[in-house]
Amino acid sequence: MNDLIRNAETINKLLSRYGVKFGIYKNGEFREQLFPFDPIPRIIGNDEFSYLEKGLRQRVDALNCFLSDIYGKKQIVKDRVIPEEFIFSAKGFLVPCDGVTPPKGIYSHISGIDLVQSKDNNWYVLEDNLRVPSGASYPMIARELQRRSAPDAFTKNDVIDNRNYADLLKEVMDHVNTGGINVILSPGRYNAAFFEHSYLAEKTGAVLTTGKDIVCENDNLYYIDYNGKKQRVGAVYRRISDEYLDPMTFYEESVIGIPHIFEAYRKGNAALLNAPGNGVADDKGIYYFVPKMIKYYLGEEAILMNAPTYLPYYEKDMQYVLDNFDILVIKDVAEAGGYGVVFGSSLTAEKKSEFIALLKAEPRRFIAQEVIDFYDLDILDENGTKVPRKADLRAFVLTGRTTKVWASGLTRFSRNPDSFIVNSSQGGGFKDTWVLSR
Amino acid sequence: MFIPQDNERQKITELKISSGYDTCFSITDDVFHNKKLYGRIEKPHDKFEISVSGCADTGLNVFEEFTAEGSSYPYCPFSTTVFGAQTKLTMPGANIRKYHSSLCLDTIPHPYNKTLRIMRAIPEVLKYNSGSTEIHETAENALTLGKGVCQDYAHIMLSLLRMEQIPARYVVGMMLGEGASHAWVEAFCRGYWYGFDPTNNKLVNDEYIKVSYGRDSSDCPVIKGSFYGNGIQTQKEKVNVEEIQTKE
Repeated sequence: MNDLIRNAETINKLLSRYGVKFGIYKNGEFREQLFPFDPIPRIIGNDEFSYLEKGLRQRVDALNCFLSDIYGKKQIVKDRVIPEEFIFSAKGFLVPCDGVTPPKGIYSHISGIDLVQSKDNNWYVLEDNLRVPSGASYPMIARELQRRSAPDAFTKNDVIDNRNYADLLKEVMDHVNTGGINVILSPGRYNAAFFEHSYLAEKTGAVLTTGKDIVCENDNLYYIDYNGKKQRVGAVYRRISDEYLDPMTFYEESVIGIPHIFEAYRKGNAALLNAPGNGVADDKGIYYFVPKMIKYYLGEEAILMNAPTYLPYYEKDMQYVLDNFDILVIKDVAEAGGYGVVFGSSLTAEKKSEFIALLKAEPRRFIAQEVIDFYDLDILDENGTKVPRKADLRAFVLTGRTTKVWASGLTRFSRNPDSFIVNSSQGGGFKDTWVLSR
Repeated sequence: MFIPQDNERQKITELKISSGYDTCFSITDDVFHNKKLYGRIEKPHDKFEISVSGCADTGLNVFEEFTAEGSSYPYCPFSTTVFGAQTKLTMPGANIRKYHSSLCLDTIPHPYNKTLRIMRAIPEVLKYNSGSTEIHETAENALTLGKGVCQDYAHIMLSLLRMEQIPARYVVGMMLGEGASHAWVEAFCRGYWYGFDPTNNKLVNDEYIKVSYGRDSSDCPVIKGSFYGNGIQTQKEKVNVEEIQTKE
């Protein structure tokens, strides 16, 4: 471990040389910033990981059942488990996806489930990311570099080898592939996660492409290589959000998508990972219903807990939220990346009454949650002293023939001691995540 | 682009599709089961032409029956919610709200009669004027301007109907004696979809050929496409409908 700490600076230098950066747009300007790496790993014991693994598999399986139901028979709505307002008028419900069954019936192939640990050692799911969750490449390359500086640190500490992520991903792509090559579709070099796109392409043997290299012809997708030769594409791990994926089906002005790719997909001639339309299941409003989904589809009690959540949509919950406004955190369901999060206690009296008026006018737009007392992780500050910071864990769950949890994950932390928000787009850093074999 | 197909009101025969270029085309349907033609030209080109012709036997029925897959009326959340919800283009603003309350629709009991009232009222506040509104203009802006084209009439009507909780859809089609495509509205009353044409203040009859429908105009553009390159583009559209035979 000491070797790792000693080499932290070198590793950060190497990371920047490899282009492990995070691009952000701020005030209309594109800026790339480093994603700072902290050498002290988060350590998860084997028993604890087995528990998480069971819970995550259950959760993702239920979410996949939900997506297949919503874009199919809609039984969960007919049975009044989830009110229809939370589905059909949700931004994430994409009407063109209705009635479309993806290859092998899988909707969320790569799920990023964000968890936090509380001071009393309980794990809570904070958020499900079923659209284009990013971040797996950061712990992958950090581990790769650390291995060079301290080759025996991992075997000596019984850390499970996490170099299998690319294999897991390839297995999933191959499983849903409809005949043809696997490609990773990137918006291009100015995307925030371009490093990840190229790294995953390299590691999985998939072809890294942008929209211009792929055409749709007679409902089939073809990759046009440097010779002008056409190759059939069977699976597209797309790193472009739904709206921009197909200008002919979704956002017409998109220049990074592939015209008519949706036709190839809905006719079953190409797999899209993840399926379009998944936003209806990882909506912050739907989050409240995930434990109910697990019960409804799998007949099981949820293993992993949600953070205690209230839906102002229900009158009883609205009353609770109004009575306890100062101790709750309110989230706008349409926002992501740590935006649209309001801590009740942080508002001035004036702002507070303004916000409450908005909440009453648009109750469907918000959820309220108890503030979880995070279990802090130590990081090294600029002077090399250990200081505690808030951190979360993004677990990567991959669904192909079966659902598997990667024995690692992305641990993000907030560099600001007072902040609860760990999103990389808000300037946080990351750590390696060790899952032990004992 | 969309091409007309059979429904309870019309029967399409002798459909012919031709294009001037060596283009590959496929026919598919969208989520609303509209029939869609799509294709591409790979080589550099300065024109993309397509023409569709055929015969339509129209006026077979006055309404379309509601058909929902897997669920039956009155419980059909998908159709009623999807067409009952406002879209970006039909979302009412202050002017539509004001106009809506001035119509006193709560005094009219039946959805069909409410729809009639709305159809008759819109021409009183909107003047037909081609070129005054943008391609995808909102209903609110069109009403504020006080002038527009068939698309704007339809959007305003959709907005008002949805405010009355009457599911309604946007229809694109053709009409006898018009030089361009036309747009109107279908409203869901008592389990049936009835056609209303607010631009002409007229119930949809055998002079109308339906091509496609959706939530608003952005779901069913007559034709759309994209290209790689620096060119600028213009679009020309010509619709010719002639009566060939009248049934006794």
